[in-house]
Amino acid sequence: MTFSLPAAVSALIFVVCLALIFSERIHRTIIAMVGAVAMVTSGLIFGYYSQQQAVNAIDFNTLGLLFGMMLLVAMLEPTGFFEFIAVWVGKFSKGKAGSLLFLLALVTSVVSMFLDNVTTVVLIAPVTILICEILGFSPQPFLISEAILSNIGGISTLVGDPPNVLIASAANFSFTDFIIHSFPLIIVVWIVSYGLLRWLFRFELRDPSPNAEAIQSLDPKEAYTDQAGARKVILVIGGAIVLFFLEELLDIRPAYVALGAASAALFWLQPNISELLKRIQWEILLFFAGLFVMIGGIQQAGVLDAFVSLISRLVDLSPALAGLLLLWSVALLSSIVDNIPITITLIPIIQHITLPGMNNSFLWWALVFGAGLGGNGTIIGSTANVVVVGLSEKTRLPITSKVWSKRGLPVMLLSCVVVSILYWLALPTFF
Amino acid sequence: MGISPLNSGKRGDMLQISRWMKKEVISISQNSTIRQAIQLFIDHHIGTLPVVDEDHHLVGILRLQDVIDMGMPDFIHLVTDFDFLHGFGAVENQRPDPQIFEKQIEELVREPVSVHEESGLFRTAALLHKHALRDLPVVDHEGRLVGIASHVDVGVALLSYWIS
Repeated sequence: MTFSLPAAVSALIFVVCLALIFSERIHRTIIAMVGAVAMVTSGLIFGYYSQQQAVNAIDFNTLGLLFGMMLLVAMLEPTGFFEFIAVWVGKFSKGKAGSLLFLLALVTSVVSMFLDNVTTVVLIAPVTILICEILGFSPQPFLISEAILSNIGGISTLVGDPPNVLIASAANFSFTDFIIHSFPLIIVVWIVSYGLLRWLFRFELRDPSPNAEAIQSLDPKEAYTDQAGARKVILVIGGAIVLFFLEELLDIRPAYVALGAASAALFWLQPNISELLKRIQWEILLFFAGLFVMIGGIQQAGVLDAFVSLISRLVDLSPALAGLLLLWSVALLSSIVDNIPITITLIPIIQHITLPGMNNSFLWWALVFGAGLGGNGTIIGSTANVVVVGLSEKTRLPITSKVWSKRGLPVMLLSCVVVSILYWLALPTFF
Repeated sequence: MGISPLNSGKRGDMLQISRWMKKEVISISQNSTIRQAIQLFIDHHIGTLPVVDEDHHLVGILRLQDVIDMGMPDFIHLVTDFDFLHGFGAVENQRPDPQIFEKQIEELVREPVSVHEESGLFRTAALLHKHALRDLPVVDHEGRLVGIASHVDVGVALLSYWIS
């Protein structure tokens, strides 16, 4: 394998940036921006990457969809909707630990199918701690299960998880494709993972609450700060979900739907725009843009060709083996590092694998499942995990790495085994 | 410590904190335990304990609120709105682990904020406001504790001046 000088320089920039991102010593968004500028600079010097090509490398469909959904969540956040849900679920569980775990996990998963799961966890976890404290339960099993199961729930839809948004945009997958190919598998994975979590936490969930009646006196509606506002945003999000399903029929892109819904909600609610924009996760959008520019550079320099031919040869050998190998390598990598850079790096590689007589969809699905499930393995594997661990550190029972490796890691491994079996069985449907 | 024009002359004395502060201050030595601090809060029915070294220099402030926070439920610091919670359920009967009472007060002690005895009322009121304190220790030129002024002492003094 011989590398040209531009290829060597661009590969070096990219590898250094990835190493810095994974070391977590400097904020990843700063590295992505500096890396993008370095890539364009070297592209201009060595003549392999123009400024226009760098702009074209940014996937505005991904950014638009993420931004639109972030706006909707930012409008929903201050209405107290998430607090309402958690309190309602707490009341419905009648203070029984097992029911509370199931309902909180279910609701968090369903909400994170449509809304960003990090925001969902950020907003539901503190109320979970509140409910657990007044019931006299340890919040640990609930927080860990919420993070893990919301990560799993997010894999089932196009908008549930940032890697899905990226993959859908690159592979031209529609919302319906995810409902057909991912959703059924994820239901099985969710049930198995929930079952394992329930079993792992069987001792913590054994004792009944000494104060079950405390939760009964709560009125979930009082948890709302703006019930009318919450209704409006939920209605708009519901409309957006319907349009996501009609994406192919109407020939519209998900970004258009998300930005359209966000604009409609903005017009309807007329919130304080500068306050609203403060709640947008700009660092994520910038991180994506920077990575897109970097990946565009190494692609133009021809760095990825070697990987394309390597995976192509594997696929020639056995598509199932190639798919499973990809799924597990991505899952294991995602458990120790951020799954977004992994996904963004693999996208142009998979995009360039052309297979005679078949399409490469099965590789995309392997990437979806690997990137989605891998993050559950460690405390730092996914942002939702980082969030619940961070919150738990403010309580008397912080979640440590040791706790997570006893609960999260087994769930991640079992869910990957289950999804591998389902993937293998469903392989013919992916072509 | 600068003296404002208002502090000069007879009227100025009226506006100096030393005129309004409590001169008998209950303070605590920096090597005390949390249990000793709690006993002082209970015995003297006070909300702030200035922390002093052997030479009576102010080295920190211990607030009643910070001691209470040890026993507060965790969600108080995590949930912005809990007005809907009419009863605290299991939390109501909760008591902190008695072992923490034997710890040194060090981790609960805040940075010392104080006002000089010749300072004006407004400066004292502003410091109370800025540092979210109910009582402000008053020190002399050497930084030794000479008094304490509560927000009520300062507020009432200011109001008396306003209507005088």
